[in-house]
Amino acid sequence: MSAIVAERIAHWFGSEPALDAIDLVVDRGDHVAILGENGAGKTTLLRILATAMRPSSGKLEIMGLDAFRERRRLRGRIGYLAHAPGLYPALTAAENLEFFCDLRGADRARVPEALDMVGLTPAARRRAGELSRGMQQRLAIARAMLHDPLLLIFDEPDASLDADGAELLAQVMKGRTTVLATHDQALATRLCQRLVHLRKGRLLGAGSRLRIVQ
Amino acid sequence: MRTVTIALAITRKDLVSEWRSRELVPALGQFVVLALVIANFGFQIDSKSAPAIAPGVLWLALVFAGLVAFGRAFAAEREQASLEAVLMTGAPSAAIFAGKALGAALMLVLCEAVLLPALALLFGVQISGGLVAAVLLATIGMSVLGCLFAAMVAQLRARELLLPLLALPLWIPFIVAGGQAVQAAMGASGDFDQALKLLIDFDILFVVLTSLAARFVLDD
Repeated sequence: MSAIVAERIAHWFGSEPALDAIDLVVDRGDHVAILGENGAGKTTLLRILATAMRPSSGKLEIMGLDAFRERRRLRGRIGYLAHAPGLYPALTAAENLEFFCDLRGADRARVPEALDMVGLTPAARRRAGELSRGMQQRLAIARAMLHDPLLLIFDEPDASLDADGAELLAQVMKGRTTVLATHDQALATRLCQRLVHLRKGRLLGAGSRLRIVQ
Repeated sequence: MRTVTIALAITRKDLVSEWRSRELVPALGQFVVLALVIANFGFQIDSKSAPAIAPGVLWLALVFAGLVAFGRAFAAEREQASLEAVLMTGAPSAAIFAGKALGAALMLVLCEAVLLPALALLFGVQISGGLVAAVLLATIGMSVLGCLFAAMVAQLRARELLLPLLALPLWIPFIVAGGQAVQAAMGASGDFDQALKLLIDFDILFVVLTSLAARFVLDD
């Protein structure tokens, strides 16, 4: 069964087309990387797949549900990492996660486990605003995992991450359907079975990793 | 129950953030005191004129402090890109809105805790329980309306200009009824009970309307 079925998704910002008739099917358990230059439409596509925004036209089903009608329900199953970490700088790392546990109705006992997963246990009591950009990214990844999501939508998850970043991403993606956007083709090849290229809002190729590497 | 828990979590987060950063409340406190000092020099205040002038000065200071407080409520979330993260939790929009409005209202109440004693000191008027009740009731309605419009304009570049244009016309009922209640509480003519009832009616009306509208403003 498919986790994501997108049919002719298009989006315009004013008169400027951002996405042009995107068709994309992602099977459950698949790891798909979206590659493309700046302004190719990666973030717009990911925001639509994460139900953070509605496209101008097209149809989107996520886990068999209409993504626009059932988006509140779907948000409980999606772990979304946006382009910006979106943390509260005055709250500590642990407080940031506890706050999002409260919003999701998740058990606060998951917080130490989530911090440990991203290697931030020693920084649990440090304010998010005092953390390095890489540590903030790790904290945002931990936040996206708090509710044990079935589907991960990650927008440039490797941004500011150190050498261990790819290892961390492989660990959190294990057993979960994942769509991620990145500029790093080597990372995409390492983490994903399928690579999808976007150029000026159009899908250029969607195939297996092996085919593209060859 | 979950709605209340979420709203309280958001309010607590906003208050803790403000306590640690001290960005807004100290500045608002200074602003209202300065506004009162300027008004004190600008008007000829004596024991006869004070009950007529003080309510106007009180509401002017409160309205401008409110515009700043409510404007920051959503602007900070947008700047930090944290509002999207909150919305992506699937939490009900009405709960998110209620939490933000309660947080902003409590910050304005803190500002009023500076404003009212300063008013008593500079204008020589008596601060009664009735006056405090009228100001608090007006704060509820002004907060929900102010936060709704702040959420609407937060993404726009001209938000500082648009927020007063949208909020001020709808705050007028609170300023009129609140002004009457405060004047009556200070000993001038007017029906205090009727003005207070009117404030309660406006509060109920706008709390319900803004809660319903929050979904459309926050989600899209």
